[in-house]
Amino acid sequence: MRSLQIFIYEWKHFTRSPFKIVALILFIVASMYGLHNGADLYEKQNNEFERLTQETETEIKTTLSYFENGKKGPDERPWVDNTQPFWAIYNAPTYAFKTPSPTIVYAIGQTEQYGFYKRINTWSNPYDADMTQEISNPERIQSGTLDFSFSILFLLPLLLLVLLYNIKGKEEEQGFLPLIFVQTGSKNWWIVSRTAFYTLLLLLVLVGVMVYGATLTNVFKANADSFWSILIYVTIYLLFWVIIYFLILKYSKSTVSNTLLMIGVWLLFAFIIPATIQQWIAIEKPTNLMVDLIDVKRDKTSEINEQSKALINRQMFELYPKLKETKTFKDTTIVRKRGGYSTNALVTIEMKNATKSIEEDNNAKNKLVETTYWINPITFFQNKLNKLTNTHYEDYESYRNAIQKSVDERTKIMVFDIWNDVTVDKEKYLEYNKTFSK
Amino acid sequence: MFQIIKNEWRFLLRSRIFLGISIGFIAILIVSVFLGNYQTQKQDQTQTNAKEHVRQQWVSIDEMNPHSAAHYGTYVFKPANLLSSLDEGVNSVTGNVLRVEGHVQNEIVHSEASQMQVVSRFGKLKSSLLLQYIVPLLLIFLAFNSVSSEKQSGRLKLLILQGAKPIQLILSKTFSVWLYGLLLLLFVIVVYGILNLQSLTSEILFRTGLFFLSYALYYFIISGLTVFFSARWQNATLALTSMLGIWILWTIFLPNVLMSSVEKWHQLPSRNEFQTAMDEDRSKGLDGHNPTDERTKALEEKVLKEYKVDSLSQLPINFDGLLMQADEDYGNKVWDKHFGNNRNVLQEQKQSFQLGGIVNPFISLQNTSMGFMASDNVHHQEFLLQVENYRRVFIKMLNDEHAFGGSKTGNWGKNADNAFFRSVPDFDYKPTQLSVVFSNYMLDLALLAFWSVLVFALILFGTKKIEIL
Repeated sequence: MRSLQIFIYEWKHFTRSPFKIVALILFIVASMYGLHNGADLYEKQNNEFERLTQETETEIKTTLSYFENGKKGPDERPWVDNTQPFWAIYNAPTYAFKTPSPTIVYAIGQTEQYGFYKRINTWSNPYDADMTQEISNPERIQSGTLDFSFSILFLLPLLLLVLLYNIKGKEEEQGFLPLIFVQTGSKNWWIVSRTAFYTLLLLLVLVGVMVYGATLTNVFKANADSFWSILIYVTIYLLFWVIIYFLILKYSKSTVSNTLLMIGVWLLFAFIIPATIQQWIAIEKPTNLMVDLIDVKRDKTSEINEQSKALINRQMFELYPKLKETKTFKDTTIVRKRGGYSTNALVTIEMKNATKSIEEDNNAKNKLVETTYWINPITFFQNKLNKLTNTHYEDYESYRNAIQKSVDERTKIMVFDIWNDVTVDKEKYLEYNKTFSK
Repeated sequence: MFQIIKNEWRFLLRSRIFLGISIGFIAILIVSVFLGNYQTQKQDQTQTNAKEHVRQQWVSIDEMNPHSAAHYGTYVFKPANLLSSLDEGVNSVTGNVLRVEGHVQNEIVHSEASQMQVVSRFGKLKSSLLLQYIVPLLLIFLAFNSVSSEKQSGRLKLLILQGAKPIQLILSKTFSVWLYGLLLLLFVIVVYGILNLQSLTSEILFRTGLFFLSYALYYFIISGLTVFFSARWQNATLALTSMLGIWILWTIFLPNVLMSSVEKWHQLPSRNEFQTAMDEDRSKGLDGHNPTDERTKALEEKVLKEYKVDSLSQLPINFDGLLMQADEDYGNKVWDKHFGNNRNVLQEQKQSFQLGGIVNPFISLQNTSMGFMASDNVHHQEFLLQVENYRRVFIKMLNDEHAFGGSKTGNWGKNADNAFFRSVPDFDYKPTQLSVVFSNYMLDLALLAFWSVLVFALILFGTKKIEIL
C-alpha cells in the first residue's frame, strides 16, 4: 500500500472521528485565543507608550513656558530653579521603554514579570520599585497567560496524543493487524505513514495559525526572519514529540498502554522535570532579597554624602578625569556649592556595583537552568521562543542595561554642566531633551 | 459493599505494576514534601537574616532628624510561610521586599520569578503540583476499566447473579479508587505533620484539615466520574479517552482561559494611570475642591487657635511635623480609596473565577488549596495591608517626634536620639487567621460539594440501566 493510499485512509479515519476533530478545533481556538492575548498585550504596551509620550510633551511645554515667561519654575515650588543644570535635567522628562516586538503574539514570555517603561532620573536604578510588573492579579500571573507558546508547548503534544493514541492498538485489539502488515508490507512504514499524515496536518494548521498571528501585529513587515525562526523551532518541537510517540506506538501493544505511556512521557517533560529543576534551583539559590542594594541605597549614600569635600572631589576626579578641565575646577566656592548634586554620580557607581552582583547571581541561576536543558526540553523550547520574541530574561537584562546607560549619561552631563557652571536657557533645555530622548 | 471494596483492594495489592507505581509515587510525594519544607526553611532563614540586618541598621541610628529617618525608612520582607511548602500559590510571582517610608506607599518588588529565566510553567515540585495534576490521573488510570473489564470478562454478570446490585458494585469501585487517592493525600499530610511537628498549631491543623477535605471531594469527583464512564461506555478505551479529555480541559485548558478572561472583564488600571490618579487626588483633594494649599491653611488656623497664638513661630511645637502627618493622613485616605478600588477589582476577578467552578471543579480545588495553605492573593493582600498599617504607625511616630520632640517650626536640624529609634517597633507579621478570610472559600467548597453530589447522583441514576454484558 502506498503512502498516498494510507494518507487517504487516514483522512477518512480522521473525518469520521469526532473526538479528534473536536480536539483539533479546540487546539486551533486556544492558539488563536493565545495569539490575540499576545496582540492585546502588544497594543496595550504601545498605547501606554503613546500616553507617556504625550505626558512628556506636556511636561516639556510647561517647563518651556517658565523660560518664556522669565520664571525659574512653578510659583508654589520656589526652590525649583530650571536655569540650573540639576533642575533643568530633573525636569527634562525621559522614559526608557522596552518596546515590544511584533512577534510577542507568539510568546509573551516574561513580559508580565517586569515593568516595560521607566522614568529616568540621575538617581534611577534598574532595580527601582517602578521596574516591577504592571498592576495585575498575581493568581493570573501565577497560572500564566494562555499565549501561543503555551498552546505549542503544552497543548500540541496533547493534541498529537489524541490524534495518534489508537494507531496500531485499535487494529491489534480488533484482530486485523496481521492483515494490515500483509497489505502494507512493512509494519514500520505503515506506522510512519500514518504518523506522518498527522504531522503534516498539524504543520499545516500551525503555519495557518502562525500566519494569522502575523497579521495581528504586522510580523512580516518588521520581523520576518523571526517568524521563520519561530516556525523552525515549532516544527522541531513537533517532530520531537512525533518521534517519541512513534517509538511508543512501535513498541507498545494496545491503545490503553499507548495512551498511558504517552501521557506519562508528557507529564514527565511538562510537569515533573521542570518542577523538580525549579525546586532544586530555589534551594540552591534562594530568592535574592536585595539587601546589598538596600545597603547602598541608604547607608552607602549617607556615607558618601558625609565624606569630606576633598575626598568627594578626589573620587569625582577619578570617575571623570576631565572634570579638572572644567572652568570652575579651581573655584572652590562653586565646587563646594554644587558638590552636593554631583555626589549622585558616586552613589550611582556604588549602585552599579551592587546591581552587578545581583545580575551575576541571576545569571548563575540561568546557567544552572541551561545545564539541565538536555533533560528538560520544554524549558529549552520555551526560552528559545522567548528569546525569538524578545521576551526572555536576557531581553529584560538588556533593557536594564540600557536604563543604566541612560542614567550614566544623564549624570555625566549633569555633573559636567554643574562644574562648568552652565546657566540653562530655553535652547539648552531643549538640547537636554533631545540628548536624553535618543 | 465493604466486602467488594475489600476484594478490590486485594486485587490491587496483588498487582505488581500497581505496587510498583504506588511505591514510586509515594517516594516522589515524600521527596516533594521534604524539598518543599527544606526550601521554605531556607527561604525563611534568608528572610530572617535580611530582617535582622535591616532592623539592626535602624536601632543603630545614633541620632537623626525624624523626617530624614522617614526618608531613610525601613524594609519589610515577605515572610516564608510553612504552609506554603505544600502549596506555594502566588508566592513565586509576587515580590518579596517592600520599602516603608514617608510620603509614599511603595509596591512590593523583587519576585522570585523575575530573577531568572522561565523554568516551570506549573511551579515547583510542591505536593500541590502532584496532588492536583498527577494523583487525579493515577485515579483515572485505576478506574477507567474498573467496570468495563468486569463486563468484558463476564464477572459482572456473575457478581450480580450472586446477589450484588449494580449500583453497589459501581459505588464500591468508586470508593476503592477514591480511598487510594485519600491514602496518598493522607500520606502527604502525615509526612508534612511529622516534619513540622514542633510548629503545628490548631490553625495549621484546621487549615490542613480543610485542605484535605477539598482534595478528598475533588478525588471523589474524579474517581466517581471515571467509574461512571467505565460503566456507561462500551469499552475501556472510550472511558479512558473521555476522562483524559476532561482532565485536559479541566486542568490545562479552562483555568488558563478563564483566568485570562476575568482579567479582561474586570480591568485593573495601568500603573501609570493609577499613580497619576493618586497624585492628582493628593494634590487637588479627593473631591477635587480641596487642594493641598487650602488644607495647609486650614490646619494652620486650627493649630494656632488651639494653642492660642498668632503665628507659627510662637507655637511651642514644630508645626512641620503636624503638617507632614496631616499630609500623611490625607495620603492614607487617597491610598485607601485607590487601593480599595484595586482590591475590589481583584475581588471581582476572584469571584468570577470562582464561578468557573460551576463547570470546572479543578478551579475550586486550586482556590481552596492555595487559600487554605495561606498562599493565595487574598492572603497576599492581607499581608500588604498589614505592612501599610505598620507604615502608618511608623511614620506617625516619626512625625510626632518631629512635632513634639522639642523643636520649633522650621527647625530641621533637631535630631532624635538612639533611644527613640529603638522605641519604634519592628514590623511584626501576624499570619492571617482562616476565620477572617474563610468566607472567600465558601463558594469553592460549596461547588466541590455540589460536584460531588452531582457525580454521586450520576452514578445513582445514570447507571441503573447499564448493560451487564
